[in-house]
Amino acid sequence: MNTLRVRRFIALALLPSLVLYALFVFVPVVWSAYYSFFNWSGIGEAKFHGAKNYVELVNDPVFWHSLKNNVIFVLASVLGQVPIALVLAIVLHKSNGLQRFLRSAVFMPMVLSSVVIGMIWQYIYHPQIGILNFLLDAVGLGSWKLQWLSDPNIAIYALLPPLIWNFVGLYLIIFISALQNIPGEIHDAAKIDGVSGARKLFSVTLPMIWGTIQVALILCISGSLKSFDLVYVMTKGGPAHATELLATYMYNSTFSTYRYGYGSTISTAIVIISLLFIGTSQWLTRKKAD
Amino acid sequence: MSNAQLARTVSRSVESTSGRTLRKKWGAGLFWIFLLLYGILTIYPLFWLIISAFKSNAEFFSRPFGLPETWLWENFTRAWETSKMGTAFMNSVIVSAVSLALTLLLAGLTSYVLARFNFRLKGWTMAFFVVGMLIPIHSTLVPLFILMKQMSILNTYWALIFPYAAFALPTAIFVLTAYLATIPKEIEEAAYIDGTGLWGVFFRIMLPISLPALSTVTILTFLHSWNDFSFALVFISNAALKTLPLSITTFADGFQTDYGLTLAAMTLSVLPTILVFLLFQEQVMKGMTAGAVKG
Repeated sequence: MNTLRVRRFIALALLPSLVLYALFVFVPVVWSAYYSFFNWSGIGEAKFHGAKNYVELVNDPVFWHSLKNNVIFVLASVLGQVPIALVLAIVLHKSNGLQRFLRSAVFMPMVLSSVVIGMIWQYIYHPQIGILNFLLDAVGLGSWKLQWLSDPNIAIYALLPPLIWNFVGLYLIIFISALQNIPGEIHDAAKIDGVSGARKLFSVTLPMIWGTIQVALILCISGSLKSFDLVYVMTKGGPAHATELLATYMYNSTFSTYRYGYGSTISTAIVIISLLFIGTSQWLTRKKAD
Repeated sequence: MSNAQLARTVSRSVESTSGRTLRKKWGAGLFWIFLLLYGILTIYPLFWLIISAFKSNAEFFSRPFGLPETWLWENFTRAWETSKMGTAFMNSVIVSAVSLALTLLLAGLTSYVLARFNFRLKGWTMAFFVVGMLIPIHSTLVPLFILMKQMSILNTYWALIFPYAAFALPTAIFVLTAYLATIPKEIEEAAYIDGTGLWGVFFRIMLPISLPALSTVTILTFLHSWNDFSFALVFISNAALKTLPLSITTFADGFQTDYGLTLAAMTLSVLPTILVFLLFQEQVMKGMTAGAVKG
């Protein structure tokens, strides 16, 4: 085939996706790094500011608080979603009617928009009409009733059940397909050696799907760093920044207080922090694989 | 061993095994009851949403857990009309469909080239796209807003279509290239010999061949753009262009105290994805985990 024609085809086929991707994914990241050195309200002229935004960021208690909340989200996901999903996968990876029902039930929240999930849980937690407080009344634990989302001390923890509920299904299905990929001969061999029950679980099954568990951990970390919708819908980062995440803080700084430069600084910090987290998790799991 | 002794040993061992199996059965039973409870607990918020959408405000307070005494179907018709959900629905369909078509076409072309041709910078091109999977989507909100303001495409469908497609590309290319690598080249080679051009091979052979991988990409991309909130929140302020998740929050803010109405609107907005999920469960569940499981 004519090499010139092939080359032209390669160029024409790659060009649209390269342009679209560069313009809408790559350029913004570089741009926000650039704007992070400016003082800009979105209108008028941007004033070069040097590293002042970064100095402010490092001394900004709300930023550190948001980062801490993000870490709480990551920990809750890693310690909540992954173990629950693993246990469920081990008992649900065969297919009878009940198992299929449970699988679908646990997976269902994955296809819903997190906006609706946030709104449903807002109703659950509502101090007057919420079914959680109704339930506590009904079982005689009325004194346990709380202002779930408006008490700054507990609001961030109240956000964890919907977060876990939302994503357990994803990891469940990932683990189930990994378990189904274990070749039948391995089960046969274990049977011949008389290995079963807990022993088989820890010395055969779990090592066989270890690679998948690592992938799930990475997905889990990067996924929970991305949280925005749920928190924005349920608390908007309030009360008094108590549930602020990096993404909501960036949003609020930019579009509520019109500090585009500072918002860009937070954006850039999010990129750096995410890469650090992913790098660390890669490094940790690589060590385990050796 | 005398007969009597033998009989005693046998009966004892029978007794103990039956005791053990009984206890095992009980344990397993309890375990499954626990699982069933967990399943009910996970599905309950959704069940509660749909049931409550049929209630009047009075019933919403007086019987928070019960079934509605009278099923108020008019909550749904009222919600559909007052929330102007028809418009939001159309917007979501247009934006999701166009960005999906764009993603499939562009990712298909790119993957065909990356999987089948050799050229300088091929490794770099692949790496360039894969790195995109690591970029946190929200960090681009502010710069994208500024960029699209200068391109004057804020408050148009393109303000959502372009970012949705661009952010879907890395995963789509990753899945499609990996799939094409497993397909033997003989089929296309026969077509080249028959004189079919490169574009012809792409549209008539490569796309149909990649159908399983394309359906995975379709599920991922569609769910993502259909459910997205943050891009719509920042890039769309014109009420006539709001997509479902955005318009549902605006609606809920405005009709906070009409619970049946708000819940009916929420139910209507999640019904399409729930129905699609119930119809294609296995495909959806498999599609969403592509790439995560090493074979």
